Amino acid sequence: MDELTLLRKVRNDVADPTTEALTAGRAALFNTINGVEPVRRTRRRGVKIAGLSALGAGVLTVALVATNMAGLADWRGGADPAAADALHSAALAAIETSDPVVGPGQYLQVSTTMMGATALQTDVARANYLYVAKDELFIPSDRDEDWVWNRHPSEIYKTFGPTSAALAEEFNEDDLGDELLRAPAGRFYGERAAGGYGDLEDLPRDPADLLRHIYLETAGKSNSPEDAAIVFIADRLRTGVVPADIRATLYNAAAMIPGVTITENQATLDGRTGVAIGRDQPNVDRQELIIDPETGMFIGERRVTLTGYEEIPAGTVIGWSAVTTTVVDSAPEGGTVNGKSEGNG
Amino acid sequence: MSSDNEIIRRSRDNPATFSELYDRHAAIIHRYAARRVGEHAADDIMSETFLVAFERRADFDDSRDDARPWLYGIATTLLKKHARLEARAWKGLIAAGAAELDHDAIDALGSRVDAELAVKKLASALKRMPTRDRDTLLLYAWGDLDYEGVAQALDVPIGTVRSRLNRARLTLRASTSRGQAPDKEVDHGRTDPASQGA
Repeated sequence: MDELTLLRKVRNDVADPTTEALTAGRAALFNTINGVEPVRRTRRRGVKIAGLSALGAGVLTVALVATNMAGLADWRGGADPAAADALHSAALAAIETSDPVVGPGQYLQVSTTMMGATALQTDVARANYLYVAKDELFIPSDRDEDWVWNRHPSEIYKTFGPTSAALAEEFNEDDLGDELLRAPAGRFYGERAAGGYGDLEDLPRDPADLLRHIYLETAGKSNSPEDAAIVFIADRLRTGVVPADIRATLYNAAAMIPGVTITENQATLDGRTGVAIGRDQPNVDRQELIIDPETGMFIGERRVTLTGYEEIPAGTVIGWSAVTTTVVDSAPEGGTVNGKSEGNG
Repeated sequence: MSSDNEIIRRSRDNPATFSELYDRHAAIIHRYAARRVGEHAADDIMSETFLVAFERRADFDDSRDDARPWLYGIATTLLKKHARLEARAWKGLIAAGAAELDHDAIDALGSRVDAELAVKKLASALKRMPTRDRDTLLLYAWGDLDYEGVAQALDVPIGTVRSRLNRARLTLRASTSRGQAPDKEVDHGRTDPASQGA
């Protein structure tokens, strides 16, 4: 067998895209065609590296038609009163807080620390571990100008037993080191302009309208409409670029989601403490928002597995992201559109 | 059935038409991406490829009736975002070995032990290969494009495709020939930049 024939046979059995992925991709395309900017940043529950298939997250399709979904925000009730209070006061504080102004020539620096789970599989072993990675994004005052993105390598955060530790050690070492990117309008790696941040301005400013919008947009794509809604809100907030008024609307919308409660009064994430407000998706996980109700500041979000899976025990935090946003006078020099692979690809 | 360039041309006046291109080609873009970075990341690559393509539909060369090289080219650039994941995936292939071959291929290679070694060597070579050579090779082998298609995808002359493919195949052949142990070590850094010019 020659080398090319062998190569063609390697990983020849990858699965076709799932119906959910095809549907989501088509919906995103139609949103773009219709001028509604879709957000591409979706959360990940874990990726199997060696065998290259997704972990079974047990996603159930919600078979509700759009006309029914539209009424959900009105008749489903709302969050637990204490959680709703915290969210409302955070919303009020957010409205009273003025966002930092990015002056001409300045940058909005969004620093993110992200923790996530990875599953590894070789022909003899399979294991999960948690990793953490940091990055800084510099968004220019004129968003058509060069954005700069500094991505750092991931580090092992937590392992689960000797197999997990050994595989994490073998796979997590990162040959690439830091990766510095620079692209006009944030078109890193040939992506669309400011990919992922575009739909914020188009979101409804009334919390009930926003929740209806979320239920419609996420219909059939999640474990439940409520889970989809809290995840949607967490995904927007963790971009770190949500203006105060929209942040307030997102908090108020979260206060209308049934099943949302205060899950921890003093939750610490990446060294900062706030109140954790979240919702259990039975038999899956708990999605939480960590906020400072006094200032309305968004500290981050985290996910806890309720059931555990493989060697990860129930109750483990399997993902979080913490975000800080500041205005700075300069961004790092250098960087290329495609980062590390630029000079090499 | 309309050719791809007819669909793209019509989509300039009637944007919704563009979804026909998605229905026609989304699965092959997903497959290509999944083989490089896994099915999870491939979901994003598939979706983003068509969003970028839609945004740039005015740039499509109408004289080409097949849009696949153009779509593969967009996907290949988007894949660079996942370079870390791909590096781990090549390591995973080194570790998994014959587990990522089907039974027929294992039989054709003689035995599971032979297949194991062959895949490990192949994966080591792919991992160390310069990105531009690997992109060229994988578009040809996994994207199923011909030289002309690869040239369109990467926007380089066909002669460049030929020289990159020759070099990549030689590298693979040298690494998979009998008697060499698979290199399980980490990338030792990039090879001489001068040799990567073409």
